[in-house]
Amino acid sequence: MNSELITATKLTKVYRRGSEQVFALKDVSFTVSQGEFLAIMGPSGSGKTTLLNLLGCLDKPTWGSLKLSGIEISDLEEKKLVKLRRDHIGFVFQQFFLLPTLTVKENIELPLLFSKRKENEKAIKEIIDIIGLTNRASHLPHQLSGGEMQRVAIGRALASGPTILLADEPTGNLDSVTAETIYQLFLRLNQQGLTIIVVTHNPELANIAHRIIRLKDGKIIDDGVIVGR
Amino acid sequence: MNFLTLAAKNLLRRQGRTALTVAGVAIAVAVLFSLLSFNSGYEKQLNNELNSLGIHILAVPKGCPYEAASLIIHGGTIPKYLSEADIAEVNKIADIEIASPMLLHQFYKDGKPHIVYGIQMNETNRLKPWWKVEGRFFSDDETNVMVIGRELAEKEKLEIGDVLSFGPDGVPFTIVGILKRTNTPDDEVYFVPLKSAQELFQKPMQITAIAIKVKDISRVFDVASKLEEIPDIQAVTTSQIIGTIMNIVGSVRTLLISVIIVAIAVSAVGIINTLLMSVNERTGEFGMMKAIGASEADIAKLVILETLSISVAGGMLGLLVATAGSSLIEGFVKNIIPYAPAGNLLSFQPAFFGLCFLLSITIGLICSIYPALKSSYMTPLEAIRSNVNE
Repeated sequence: MNSELITATKLTKVYRRGSEQVFALKDVSFTVSQGEFLAIMGPSGSGKTTLLNLLGCLDKPTWGSLKLSGIEISDLEEKKLVKLRRDHIGFVFQQFFLLPTLTVKENIELPLLFSKRKENEKAIKEIIDIIGLTNRASHLPHQLSGGEMQRVAIGRALASGPTILLADEPTGNLDSVTAETIYQLFLRLNQQGLTIIVVTHNPELANIAHRIIRLKDGKIIDDGVIVGR
Repeated sequence: MNFLTLAAKNLLRRQGRTALTVAGVAIAVAVLFSLLSFNSGYEKQLNNELNSLGIHILAVPKGCPYEAASLIIHGGTIPKYLSEADIAEVNKIADIEIASPMLLHQFYKDGKPHIVYGIQMNETNRLKPWWKVEGRFFSDDETNVMVIGRELAEKEKLEIGDVLSFGPDGVPFTIVGILKRTNTPDDEVYFVPLKSAQELFQKPMQITAIAIKVKDISRVFDVASKLEEIPDIQAVTTSQIIGTIMNIVGSVRTLLISVIIVAIAVSAVGIINTLLMSVNERTGEFGMMKAIGASEADIAKLVILETLSISVAGGMLGLLVATAGSSLIEGFVKNIIPYAPAGNLLSFQPAFFGLCFLLSITIGLICSIYPALKSSYMTPLEAIRSNVNE
């Protein structure tokens, strides 16, 4: 394995529900190396989405340390978190969140608008080829199937050339045949060197990962490398 | 792709809603622009009209208020008369250059008021040297002849040589001349010799008013006070008439301003409502945008651009509608104000275009503050969750 990309030490996230404190994550420690394909599993309420949001710099831990490429993010101000999200992280959601009036190509280009980077036609075309929508670049989201929409969302996450791809239940809204195409896409991207972290309930998606972290009640109950990968 | 394209495409998602909001802004801007144009045009036109009368003082029967004097100028009738003998008294006053008597009569034809002026043509021609006629003017000793205004000729399809019957006995009058357009109320009036008018309307030796031009305009108030020494006469200067009319119109203007304030407030609430609905519907999208690298400023910029697009489109549409529909607006205004001078009441000025456009942009910017803050300060996580929980 390559160098460590993520280092989480005693990561804790506490939410307030009225006067009650709820520990969504409690003393979670692990590392993720560059090029890894990690699946995070666990029952509902186990803290997996909270963990993914922390890794995606969408939220800050209550306590503990989280380093991304050596940068401590737990005390970074919002501006720097924005820059980290822009330059290092690609995010894929269960609901796709495609903008309905933008074409496939325009949806994929969206992150470049925020990062003020010039659109690179060649790079965007390559991404469209990778996600297998070469002939549908000018289609609008409502003209696409669920699987195609999720592939556009993945293409969008790749547009800014991230070091990590984070996906929250990416096949949760898809049937099993369509979901398979998404697994294969993740696998190809990982083989090209992209670090992928997926939160999923789906054992088939978890099984194509290198490693599975299982959470329960905000704690890691199992962290195992899948033999043969 | 840029932010403006993205904002425009977002607005096109709910075309009906966007169109209605744009229309709301357009109405407010159109009304404001029309009022500003009216405000400037009305006073100008009123001054023009009174100056075009060529008179400095109107001698009217005593007890006749300024409003009645305004009516006389515009062609109404009042139930009081001066005697022709008063003209001799008036002419005795030094500093009076011209004293031109007139008898006014109003009659209705097809439900519309028609105005007949009995005048002395010699005096009137001195008072209004700019009058030009197609055909000829009548002389003061002629009978059964008339000169009519251009507008009246066109409306009633009258030509030189036509004969019209007037009065209870149907006395025939021949049109000997049609005035060239003056853009004053004169364009809509029948002018007949004073003697004929007195006979026709059975007002022997009676006149409605005496139009007076003074030799030296600075002496106008001295002349007016001398005129009022004549027992029957009350003297009203044109500046007094303008002041009176502007006072009356002031109340209408206040009403219009209130309407505009309400229209602007309604359109502002409409914009805020549209934006809040749009922002609430898209919280998940904003969360996604933040997750893929948008900053708070980027989201605020997007919302502000959407609002500005609405207000700029509304402002332009409003100005276009107000300009294109000026004749309709003018017709409406002329109906509701108590004294409407002839000619264009709306005076469009570049400064008004700029001011109204600036106002629509300012409204847009103010309206966008709350929705922009609301959407931009939401953490990505909250935004995404709010969408999941829907």
